[in-house]
Amino acid sequence: MSNSEAVTLNQDKGAIKQMKRVVSAVAMDLFLWAYTLLVGYKIIYQKIIADMRYAEFTWNQPIYALAIGALVALALFFTKFSIGRATQGLYEDDDNKALTSQPFMFLGYFIILITFIAGLNISQVSMREFLSEAGLLGAQRIFTALLHPNFGIIEPAIFAAIETIYMAFIATIIAVPFAFLFGFMAARNLMSASPVLFAIYNLTRFLLNITRSIEPLVWAIIFSVWVGIGPFAGMLALCLHSVSSLAKLYSEQIENISEGPIEAMTATGAHPIQIIWFGVVPQIILPYLSFTIYRWDINVRMATVIGLVGGGGIGTMLMQYQGLAKWNEVGMLAITIAAIVWVMDWSSSRIRESIK
Amino acid sequence: MSQTILEVDKLNKVYPNGTHALKGVSFNVKKGEFLVVIGLSGSGKSTLLRCINRLHEPTTGNILFEGNDITNIKGKPLRILRSRIGMIFQHFNLIPRKTVMTNVLTGTLSRTGVIKSILGTFSQEDKKKALELIDLVGLKGKENRRADNLSGGQQQRVAIARALMQNPSILLADEPVASLDPATSHSVMQYLRKVNEELGVTIVCNLHFLSLVREYATAVIALKDGNLIYEGGPSDIDENWFQTIYGEDAVEVTID
Repeated sequence: MSNSEAVTLNQDKGAIKQMKRVVSAVAMDLFLWAYTLLVGYKIIYQKIIADMRYAEFTWNQPIYALAIGALVALALFFTKFSIGRATQGLYEDDDNKALTSQPFMFLGYFIILITFIAGLNISQVSMREFLSEAGLLGAQRIFTALLHPNFGIIEPAIFAAIETIYMAFIATIIAVPFAFLFGFMAARNLMSASPVLFAIYNLTRFLLNITRSIEPLVWAIIFSVWVGIGPFAGMLALCLHSVSSLAKLYSEQIENISEGPIEAMTATGAHPIQIIWFGVVPQIILPYLSFTIYRWDINVRMATVIGLVGGGGIGTMLMQYQGLAKWNEVGMLAITIAAIVWVMDWSSSRIRESIK
Repeated sequence: MSQTILEVDKLNKVYPNGTHALKGVSFNVKKGEFLVVIGLSGSGKSTLLRCINRLHEPTTGNILFEGNDITNIKGKPLRILRSRIGMIFQHFNLIPRKTVMTNVLTGTLSRTGVIKSILGTFSQEDKKKALELIDLVGLKGKENRRADNLSGGQQQRVAIARALMQNPSILLADEPVASLDPATSHSVMQYLRKVNEELGVTIVCNLHFLSLVREYATAVIALKDGNLIYEGGPSDIDENWFQTIYGEDAVEVTID
């Protein structure tokens, strides 16, 4: 490749990048304006100003909002009111004017304001109910009960807590080898050498993101149908979530390692597996240990999730007493959970500090 | 002395981002030479060294090592080639949290099986040789110390021992003293000279300081913007050459 070819190629790349920026800026403006119009009409106007109880919804409304939004966005795209252009860095930097007093920022403040008002309306925030007499009496009853825990159940509570700690431990330990493997597959610096590896990287990342974005609570419900209600379902839920969270943390650790030892091992003529064993593993082993202990700690906290699907341990006990409205017993369990979480938190942070 | 060990022929390297790091560089290295490559930062010195053991892929051109074209070999032949070429680095690149002994033994990875090396069962012969080399670089008694607890100069000597574990016929040194203080720099350079003179290992070394070049090199090449602009002896680099290589305004800084 000659020099001039390289220069034209770079210019083409620059033009494509610029095009991409403009397109995303327009799309962003369009979305923001459609959102502003829709929220302004449906909530601010219909619900709050006109006080309509059952405002009619048709799919024409968002479509109109998009159409009008597109017109407004295009009209304002060349003025100083385009948030899209600002976020894509298409405005020339004006160092004399603070970012917070730029025209497009006022549009931003306005959008945040109507979102706040609409949010208050949708969450049905009501001070009247919060401070009503009946409500306050109920709150007093439950707090009194919780603050007078029933120490008669301390023995079963401790045994249930021990059960929970062991279940969390098993969920973590089973997750580690899978997370270890996926961690390598999701590390960009190791997987961008060839198109095949890069495809594996993207697929792994995609699957990990999906499993991680589904809460353990939802996994617990899925697994309770799959393998039946019991400790196994809860353990599987925690385990799956631990695999994807740990794999993500592990891969980030691999991405942050220093290239030097890898380069040195490559230069000795080592086999790729030896390069990973001597060039990568010594750099990541202690952070991995630290993440894993932290994950065990989190899994103990999520004991209530295991409890939800009747998975034994302190979570199930909590669910049972809560169902019977036995608040003194619930108070005892709450104290026990707080105690084990505190002990786990303290000891795991001590361990993690000492192996740094 | 006159046998050629390495031939670099019209080597070009263009990085994916368009940087043209080497522009048709050709030179020969004779067996037993202490060749020093000089030039500004970014002139292509590091790229050149990394093309020789194929840590970086040359774009065009050929590299002949001991008469064999090694420009396109892959897999096991490439690993065997790399084991014949030792390399040391500016930042030493030792394995953190491992002992000096383990670090030196990683020089044998190419001839130790994958499973054996993972289990850490290196042969008695290799262990004996590692101890000898640790002694050679003046670190006797430190073999069980953690390598990252040693001083910079000591770490670089561990790196030299690791490279020698490979039984290399050529040793590449990428700015081996650039992160060391002047006194330590001389000590490391003296060990390199010892390796060159006593073990007969050919050395190709990137350096910044001309005073070190004059003292240790037996041959010199200079790179500027990816072009080879000087090839000759260390004593022939006078004021004019110096300014051609480093620019009009450059003033020579010495290291004692």
